[in-house]
Amino acid sequence: MFDRILNSKIWGFFFKGYGFLFLGFLYLPLGLIFVYSFNANSINMAVWTEFTFDWYLTIFGGASSQSSFDAAFTESPERIFEVVKHSVIVALSASTVSTVIGTATALALARYKFVGKRFYQALLVLPMIVPDIVLGIALLIFFVGAGFKLSLLTIIIGHTTFLSSYVFVVVSARLAGMDTSLEQASADLGAGPITTFRRVTLPQIMPGVVGGFLLAFIISLDDVVITYFIAGVGAQTLPLFILAMMRRGLRPQINALAVLLLLFSFAVAAIGLYLRSRKS
Amino acid sequence: MAISDTVLKRKRRTLIMLLAPFTIMLSVFFLIPLGIMMVYSFLEPGLYGGVEWNWYPYNYGRIIGWPLNDYEEFEPIYLKIFLNSVQIALMTVIGTFLLCYPAAFWVSRMKGAKKNLALFLITLPFFANLLVRIYAWLLLLRPTGFFNTVLQSAGLIIEPLDLLFTNFSVIIGMVYILTPFMFLPIYANVEKLDYSMVRASQDLGANPLQTFRRVILPLTAPGIIGGSVIVFIPALGNFIVPSFLGGSKVQMTGNLIERSFLQSRDWPFGAALALLIMASVVVLVVFQLSRQAKAEARGVS
Amino acid sequence: MSFLKITSAQKAYKTPEGGLIHALDDVSLNVRNNEFLTLLGPSGCGKTTLLKCIAGFEDIDAGEITLEEKSLKGVPAHRRPFNTVFQNYALFPHLNISDNVGYGLDVARVSRKERNHRVDEALELVGLTGFGSREPSQLSGGQQQRVALARSLVLKPRVLLLDEPLSALDRKMRETMQIELKNLQHSVGITFVFVTHDQEEALAMSDRIAVVAHGKVQQLATPTEIYDEPANEFVANFVGTSNIFSGKVVAKEGQILTIETANQRQVLASSDRFDKGDHVELVLRPEHLKMSPGGNGVPDSCIEGTVVAEIFVGSEMHLHVDVGRGRTAIVHHRHNRGDEGERIETGTDVKLYYSPNAAHLIKAVGG
Repeated sequence: MFDRILNSKIWGFFFKGYGFLFLGFLYLPLGLIFVYSFNANSINMAVWTEFTFDWYLTIFGGASSQSSFDAAFTESPERIFEVVKHSVIVALSASTVSTVIGTATALALARYKFVGKRFYQALLVLPMIVPDIVLGIALLIFFVGAGFKLSLLTIIIGHTTFLSSYVFVVVSARLAGMDTSLEQASADLGAGPITTFRRVTLPQIMPGVVGGFLLAFIISLDDVVITYFIAGVGAQTLPLFILAMMRRGLRPQINALAVLLLLFSFAVAAIGLYLRSRKS
Repeated sequence: MAISDTVLKRKRRTLIMLLAPFTIMLSVFFLIPLGIMMVYSFLEPGLYGGVEWNWYPYNYGRIIGWPLNDYEEFEPIYLKIFLNSVQIALMTVIGTFLLCYPAAFWVSRMKGAKKNLALFLITLPFFANLLVRIYAWLLLLRPTGFFNTVLQSAGLIIEPLDLLFTNFSVIIGMVYILTPFMFLPIYANVEKLDYSMVRASQDLGANPLQTFRRVILPLTAPGIIGGSVIVFIPALGNFIVPSFLGGSKVQMTGNLIERSFLQSRDWPFGAALALLIMASVVVLVVFQLSRQAKAEARGVS
Repeated sequence: MSFLKITSAQKAYKTPEGGLIHALDDVSLNVRNNEFLTLLGPSGCGKTTLLKCIAGFEDIDAGEITLEEKSLKGVPAHRRPFNTVFQNYALFPHLNISDNVGYGLDVARVSRKERNHRVDEALELVGLTGFGSREPSQLSGGQQQRVALARSLVLKPRVLLLDEPLSALDRKMRETMQIELKNLQHSVGITFVFVTHDQEEALAMSDRIAVVAHGKVQQLATPTEIYDEPANEFVANFVGTSNIFSGKVVAKEGQILTIETANQRQVLASSDRFDKGDHVELVLRPEHLKMSPGGNGVPDSCIEGTVVAEIFVGSEMHLHVDVGRGRTAIVHHRHNRGDEGERIETGTDVKLYYSPNAAHLIKAVGG
């Protein structure tokens, strides 16, 4: 009867309605930012005056025609570009290295048995489970203790440390679904281990590797807490920049910046999902 | 062709080569600093930052509220903050659970492309920047924010409500951020639900409420517990959300840690606090792993 | 000089509970050049493990594997001159047929021209000319199997190892492939080591069969020898059906032995390997037991019993006869049209005759 009740129209209505509300809860706050980003009102964002692209333009260096527009309240495009550049450099470097490390580790755990494997598996997911703040502090302690000056490099190292675990999870899933006899067949036909990896294993796990890379990239780009602890003075990333902006007081330009960042993240996520569903 | 390695020796070498990067990285950048942190937590803070190498149990003492000297009173303020953090984290868990549990069933009932779309839409906000998500709630809750503006213009209130800088605003923010973490484990569990058990329950005479309580809830319990652990941990150690949505009124352990390390330079104290959080995390993780191992041993998926 | 020789191979696995499984327990085997040798045995008996050790995917704990007297110890799988046809074919899904077949040649960096020529040759050999540009997923099971064969044969291995390659095919396809494989082995002249649990398959295809069980080689002989003269009770039971009676030799007259079975029966068998006083197992195949005495000079021996079941299988009628003490003999009685009136009913007392020459004796284990 529950089945029937679950399938009955009333329940269907209830669930659909709930789904609507649920998605609404998830997206309306973000939608609000989106709407506000076009509001010309620079004094009170919540009160709509007129539609404008100006806030977006200020990010890219354009001037505004608004009379109430005060240039002192926006960040310079050069500064914005600089932090974006930093973020991208960090994200690309960290995700590349962590993809290599994560894939290697995934291969090791998928193809070999060894003492303490269970324990090692727990160790692998530790960076994902531990609260960011603890990770950030640990890294800070290391860098200061080892005498490193905090810079973009320290951020890259810090990101790589926890991103590898994410890549590991994604690539492991892909490896689990792979037919192991293919690698045996390759060896049987005369291919050494490296050749087998290049010609057989890698093509098979490529969607996982790419997916892991994209995931790492986005997480690195978005990271706030860990970066907060290990960034040096001259090495600001986009999220830290936004954080500083938010601390200084809420201004309309943040809306535009936020929307752009959202769109970019969503685009990357969509690409990742598309690649994952292709399976090949 | 005189190679003296056996298959086993070669395998071992490859294994070590593959595992070395991650092991070294994790040990150097995380495990060893964690150890240092443990040591620091028992050291005396230096006058100008740094540490003095004396045995100093008062870091932990301060957390409990032990007075440092005769001029202080027993002041368990830090303990209160920690307990408040636990409370907020628990409320976050409850909030995300109430939100995600019905949602999991909603998605599970769907079929095909619609289902994939729903899953995509639910996980997508996870990729939105943390700050942007917090910022959205700032816009909603502050005195000149969305809710207050709407309520005022509708004439329902005159003075703006104090929605921000309360435990409630912090909890709402955390629920918003951590929803995907609760959703996925619960959903995975609900998806695997064998409806023949539900039918069997009805066949044996149970009404819907009983079936829910006696069959569906227990069967989905693993996902609920798993999701709760994954939500509780980041909620407990969070400092960004209370920093913005809680202001100085709502303090969580994370804020204390941040201040200790970056502002007051009292590393030992911060270390002690961080270890307190780590201890809670370890307890929870061990609990979760042992539960999983037991379930595996029993043959339950 | 021996060709492929396995000497005293040992291999043990640890079980999760802490026990030890002996996959290979002092296995010795001599594979001759150009022969079709089958490793036959039940699942988990060690035959696939042996194959893997020959191929080089696993190490043996003790013992030796040599090719033409040269030890293969330490030689990794990809350097051994053997190729394997896997049970699930293991065709590379991301390569087309031509690239699959040519994989080994590509890895060895054979020139484009020669590689293409040899790939075409191999495809022709297995009857798949023109399939080069197709994908593995587009092929049927039988075709995939042939691609796997071609992929291995194109490299001209010294030994081709086949790991239950026909088990995934349906009956008709399997029978066709059995004939094809046998012919292929002849025409190509490569040694085949074939693993299967299907005894009919083994009997049909092999030059010699090694019956493997519990990590040991139970018997290594030609198919006829395996069937007619099983070396022990396991082989007698595993290959074909057997009726086995334990007994003691009480008299010997020339080649004819009188054996007293557990039921105090006195039966005859012909053998020159045993003497008065030996404990033996008497093996009789169901087709050796007849319902009426023969007349070829040697007096038949006789067993009496009661029919407890009859099973009609189309070409034959299988009778289960209770011969006392709980032992049942299985008799295969040829079924002919018009036999309806001659149906032997359950409960009938029957006499089962057999020629002493047809009986096979095995030394009893445990004296």
